[in-house]
Amino acid sequence: MMGVMSLHEAELISPANPTAGPAIETRDLTKIFKTFTAVDHVNLTIHKGEIYGLLGPNGAGKSTTIRMLCTLLSPTSGFARVDGYDVTRQGSEVRKRIGLVSEKLIMYPRLTALENLMFFGKLYGIDRETLQKRSEELLEMVKLTPFRDKLVGGYSSGMRQRINVIRAILHDPDILFLDEPTTALDPQSTRFVRDLVKELRQRGHTIVLTTHVMEEADELSDRICIVDHGKVLAIDTPQALKERYDTNSLLEVFLELTGRELRDSADARISLRAPMGRM
Amino acid sequence: MPKRFAWDIAVDIARRDLLDLWRAKMLLFFFILMPLLLMSMFGYIYPPVPKSNPNTGSIGTAFPNLPVSIVQIDNGQYANSVAAEFIQYSTQQHLFSVTESPTYQNARNQLVEGKLKGIIVIPQGFSSALAGGQPATVQVTVDETNPTTASVVQSEISTIFNLIGANISAQNIRSMDGDHVDPQFVTQPISVTQTPLISGLSSASSFQFLAPGFMALTVITGSLQGVATAISREKEQGTMDGLLVSPIPHQSIIIGKVAAQTVRGLIQGFLILALSMLLFGVRIFGSPIIMVIVMILGTASFVGVGIIMTAVAPDQETAQMMTMLLQFPMMFISGILFPIEQLPTWLQIVGKAFPLYYAADALRKVIILNAGLMTIIPDIVILVVYTILTMTVALPLFEKAMRH
Repeated sequence: MMGVMSLHEAELISPANPTAGPAIETRDLTKIFKTFTAVDHVNLTIHKGEIYGLLGPNGAGKSTTIRMLCTLLSPTSGFARVDGYDVTRQGSEVRKRIGLVSEKLIMYPRLTALENLMFFGKLYGIDRETLQKRSEELLEMVKLTPFRDKLVGGYSSGMRQRINVIRAILHDPDILFLDEPTTALDPQSTRFVRDLVKELRQRGHTIVLTTHVMEEADELSDRICIVDHGKVLAIDTPQALKERYDTNSLLEVFLELTGRELRDSADARISLRAPMGRM
Repeated sequence: MPKRFAWDIAVDIARRDLLDLWRAKMLLFFFILMPLLLMSMFGYIYPPVPKSNPNTGSIGTAFPNLPVSIVQIDNGQYANSVAAEFIQYSTQQHLFSVTESPTYQNARNQLVEGKLKGIIVIPQGFSSALAGGQPATVQVTVDETNPTTASVVQSEISTIFNLIGANISAQNIRSMDGDHVDPQFVTQPISVTQTPLISGLSSASSFQFLAPGFMALTVITGSLQGVATAISREKEQGTMDGLLVSPIPHQSIIIGKVAAQTVRGLIQGFLILALSMLLFGVRIFGSPIIMVIVMILGTASFVGVGIIMTAVAPDQETAQMMTMLLQFPMMFISGILFPIEQLPTWLQIVGKAFPLYYAADALRKVIILNAGLMTIIPDIVILVVYTILTMTVALPLFEKAMRH
């Protein structure tokens, strides 16, 4: 197994666009739940306009990291900046610039698709007319226009995830966090969501993606960061990672780095903690 | 963040919560059914007591036609007429259904079997005592396994014998002094009549007492539970993340949720009042505006506790259990179901520690006694103090829990 990557090494990786400042920057970011260290001195630099794959086994600290970057959790120590704003002290500025697609659906089941979009859009201070127009455009983009007046509770999981993604980009955020966006989707919806992610990158959004599907990470990510036990194990382009381990499968790289044992014990610790940790 | 924007968002959040509730019509139905069901149950447990009037000889009772038996050991003239009068009174006023038993032992066996609630024994020498100008005694045994009926039977039997006794003394006075003295002057020199507190409210109906209490109870526990459930549900289903990652002040979330629950509580409260007017003949004598003010203050005074619970509880289920744990004792010891004076002093103190007591007290005064704002100022002050205290704890705790 490889050692923990040092701060120095992480900084050596050349940015995708050297003229732009980083979209996200963390220094020694740490989150400790009582006695369990979920994120352990993580240093990340995510550049503007890239798709950044954050990979790791269950309980590796991916979601906790994303929740800290989204200001949903406060770090125990270290700091994180999103678009130059500190997540602890300038939360409101950070929140204006980010969109989140979490594992859980952020949609009210007893509201229609359009009502949901209008509600969440208003939270960003978008005026009604602009919001209506943008909602309709986005619904059209994900082919949900015929269902816009149906309650979201009755949607299939594929439809739910599509509407979930456009909810996150209603306010056109610079940075988008996608936490396992294709989990439990059928192949058609998976393809659609992946193409949507590429499309969003084309439009200039910075995307932080977590997934357990290595092929998806390989296909979408410009760079990949593999974490385990709250620590960064490797950061590089998918190609470079595969070359380093002399394989053409990212899955092999992942298993090489994180080991092959099942993570049942680690999972148990996390799920015990989860209700409080997620508050 | 401009202030205006924060309020707009709170209104949006409140409106969404109400829309959500409106679409869950089943739930809405049970929200109203539950208090009504409880109220009708408790309303009939304490049925209205018709007032006794000593002048007309009418005696009210909550337990009509209880079975009692007379054991007439003396067979003299007085004993016969007193027994007959007792049976006549009891039947006329629907107080007792009276049977006659040959011996005390026989009657006692029936009482033990549960067939009788009381035994009246007219002992040997009853007639001769009265005929000889001496006071006489009847002996009463009641079913002491049930203290409530026991005391009712005891006091009703005494009342009937007082009336019979008064008749006998009236006869005696007439026979002694012809028509010179009004017999009532001797038997009952002072009589009592009642002036109703509110004209139109002829008898104190239990529902009249219960309805304001249930309004207060519904509003307060509804908002307590409503806020706790609404917040923890959003936390669980994930939509809370959607609110928290947006650039809105957190107070907007709380204000919106509380506003939605308050509106729901007011609607429920007035529906309960309307239905109890319709079904149980409850009447309103006070101002609806003051009622709204009291109900809003009632909500505000306790909603903070709901917020504290969501901050502490890990999930929706736990939050609900915690609110239940508060709700039930509150219902029983804060003077909603029965007057708080019925409780031992230490329990009264506990009961009065809940703001529900003051909200119910104020509502009752407004609804039944047509009390103005000035009259209920003490209640209002206490509710405001509760609001400030609970919110001071709740808001920072909520803030902390959200970014755990």
